Amino acid sequence: MRYPNGVVALDGITLDIEPGEMVSVVGLSGSGKSSLIRTINGLVPITSGHLEVGGRALETTKGRELRRLRGEIGMIFQSFNLAGRTSVLNNVLVGRLAHTPTWRTLLGLYRESDRQIAFEALDRVEILPKAWDRASSLSGGQQQRVAIARALSQEPRLVLADEPVASLDPPTAHAVMRDLRRINQDLGITVMTNLHVMDLARQYASRLIGLRAGKVVFDGPASSATDKDFETIYGRTIEPEDVLGA
Amino acid sequence: MSLAIPTRPRHWWRLALTILVTIVVIAAFWAVDVKWERLLDLPAEIARYTWLMFSSPNWAKLPEALLQTWRSVAMAWIGTVLGILLATPLSFLAARGFGPAPVRAFLRGLFSVIRAVPEIIIAIIILSVTGLTPLTGALALAAGGIGTLGKWGYESIEGVPRGPIEAVRAAGGSTAQTIRWGVWPQATPDFLSLWLYRFEINVRASAVLGLIGVGGIGDMLTSYTQYREWPTVGMLLIVVVIVTMTIDAISGAIRRRITDGGRVHELER
Amino acid sequence: MTTPRILTPPPRPRGRWKPWLALGIVAAITAITASPQLGIAFSLDAIIRNWRNGAGKIIQLLQPDWSVLPRTIPPLLETLEMAVIATAVAALVSLPLSLLAARLTNPNRVGRGILRTILNIVRSVPELLYAAVLVAMVGVGALPGIIALVLFNIGIIVKLVSEAIEGNDAGPIEAGRAAGGTQLQINRAIALPDVWPSFANQTLFVLELNVRASTVLGLVGAGGLGLLIDAVRTYFRYDQLSVIIIEILVVVVALDIVSSAIRRRLV
Repeated sequence: MRYPNGVVALDGITLDIEPGEMVSVVGLSGSGKSSLIRTINGLVPITSGHLEVGGRALETTKGRELRRLRGEIGMIFQSFNLAGRTSVLNNVLVGRLAHTPTWRTLLGLYRESDRQIAFEALDRVEILPKAWDRASSLSGGQQQRVAIARALSQEPRLVLADEPVASLDPPTAHAVMRDLRRINQDLGITVMTNLHVMDLARQYASRLIGLRAGKVVFDGPASSATDKDFETIYGRTIEPEDVLGA
Repeated sequence: MSLAIPTRPRHWWRLALTILVTIVVIAAFWAVDVKWERLLDLPAEIARYTWLMFSSPNWAKLPEALLQTWRSVAMAWIGTVLGILLATPLSFLAARGFGPAPVRAFLRGLFSVIRAVPEIIIAIIILSVTGLTPLTGALALAAGGIGTLGKWGYESIEGVPRGPIEAVRAAGGSTAQTIRWGVWPQATPDFLSLWLYRFEINVRASAVLGLIGVGGIGDMLTSYTQYREWPTVGMLLIVVVIVTMTIDAISGAIRRRITDGGRVHELER
Repeated sequence: MTTPRILTPPPRPRGRWKPWLALGIVAAITAITASPQLGIAFSLDAIIRNWRNGAGKIIQLLQPDWSVLPRTIPPLLETLEMAVIATAVAALVSLPLSLLAARLTNPNRVGRGILRTILNIVRSVPELLYAAVLVAMVGVGALPGIIALVLFNIGIIVKLVSEAIEGNDAGPIEAGRAAGGTQLQINRAIALPDVWPSFANQTLFVLELNVRASTVLGLVGAGGLGLLIDAVRTYFRYDQLSVIIIEILVVVVALDIVSSAIRRRLV
């Protein structure tokens, strides 16, 4: 797809992702990772070609249809993107927005069943005790877990993660990736993650896609990706910051 | 399965505050002497008057309006300049690091008191000396300006990074030199910005002062409103809006230029 | 041993004349506006001539006539009531408008542009002028004063709060959009909690402005102390005027202190 300022972010990509897969997308910044993952829920519209998600063609899905589709796709961001001044619970309830009529949102009167879903999502990422705390009072790793809970409360079929661990220290990063792998394996949710470090990408995914300058240069099982493949993807030799460690 | 859901905290003081505010507001509504039924007629009346004023504004009086506008703007300009000249030294005296503590406290109190009094009242007091002339308006604006410019001034000075000031002092500079070389270069963008903002406020205030008869567009507006000559009132309102918005736009552009550092090409050589 | 070198400093930057030009323009404008023919006749001898005239009044000011105090209470209360009502109404109306005026919470460019232009126009007219015109429209009393204040307030609150919103992080809003929420839901659930501190701050600020402004709205008949001020000055009772001024001072300064205290606790 091409941005309004002329930059071609994705060029001739043909991908087929099956339900239940856990996919890592790797590449340098500017390779198109961010754009790719945002085309899937329509945050970035494609300018040419065809994209089908959950049986719906994204080029023609708009308005309420698009929101309903987004309701089935959870998304996690590098900077967590929580509303800092309100409670953890309210942040998780954002995941129920697509399933809540507007009047309920305006009055803050969520259904009991929605709250139950939110509590269960918080429990799954083991952060339920913090439900009433202000979101900004949590640490980075905790905030990302809340973000995962927010995605989970959507009861999604697909979870997109844009550099979910780039702002976290190694032990926390591994914990978050483990959470993602768990929801993929236990709940059967398809997970697609952008990562900038090789070891996490290989360790926590079943399939690896490498992007370079908007084109796919690698697509295969994560375990089969060698360092040489990464050099092809990155277009340069491997450097220390490409590995997270711990 | 049962979850260990934590109990929801209750913020009692937030609730108390909300209740207090609600009571105060309801009390105000109840106590004020207003026939609220009139509100129902209001939209129709406003529509009627709006049509009376703006359907065919009286452009014949435009030259007179522009003359009075010039008077008002002149009042605002002089008021701002005078206010700056009087307030700036006082700001320095009121700033920590430049004036002794009792002087600072007195000046800050003075600024607060002046800021509490609406300019119109200052004008009423002054006009006993200077009469119903635009000069009164300018002096009132200058006096009122001392309050706000004074306060913003010392806040600005105190907000300046201390480094260069210490450098000048360490090199043996006197207070005047410290101000000129330590404070002034850093505070100038702030000060200019504040001065222009004060000018914008004064332009609005000058229109208001006309209401008590010191001249300017406010004067013209009140007369024609009292005579209920709506087409002229409409024209005057349009003039006020356009002039104020223009001055705001110019002043805003200059202020942005100042804070963004203007064009950098001078440094490229 | 170092031999002296000829130093060639870099060329002086161009444009050093700009500040002097600006100063010159300012001086010129000042001269024009102060001259008797074109401007407002800034003449010191007018002041000196009338000095004795004014001195008597100033002395009167310094001897407040406290007997007028009971008479000032009802108008003072009306002033405060007007300020409170106007603040409440304006706050209610300004909250949704502020969300509509900021890019983060209202992606609709055209709608935003129209709203901002209307608000700029409304903000250009000082509240006393609104009051004067409204009094002629709906009659004397507190109602035109309240309406004038509300108009004046909405312009201020929406401008300041929408600017604060634009300074906020766009990330959480993107997350809300990714979860499938409508703009309205996103604004209520995500943007609003971040807006509260700024909104509360500006509402308090506007309350202070309103109290100060509503003291003089009565000068055009719009209720409050202003009516009393007008009566008092027509009879040249400057000693009573000073009591009113002191009252205004006390109320405004007290409100300033209280609102500063509240603001500290808010953040």
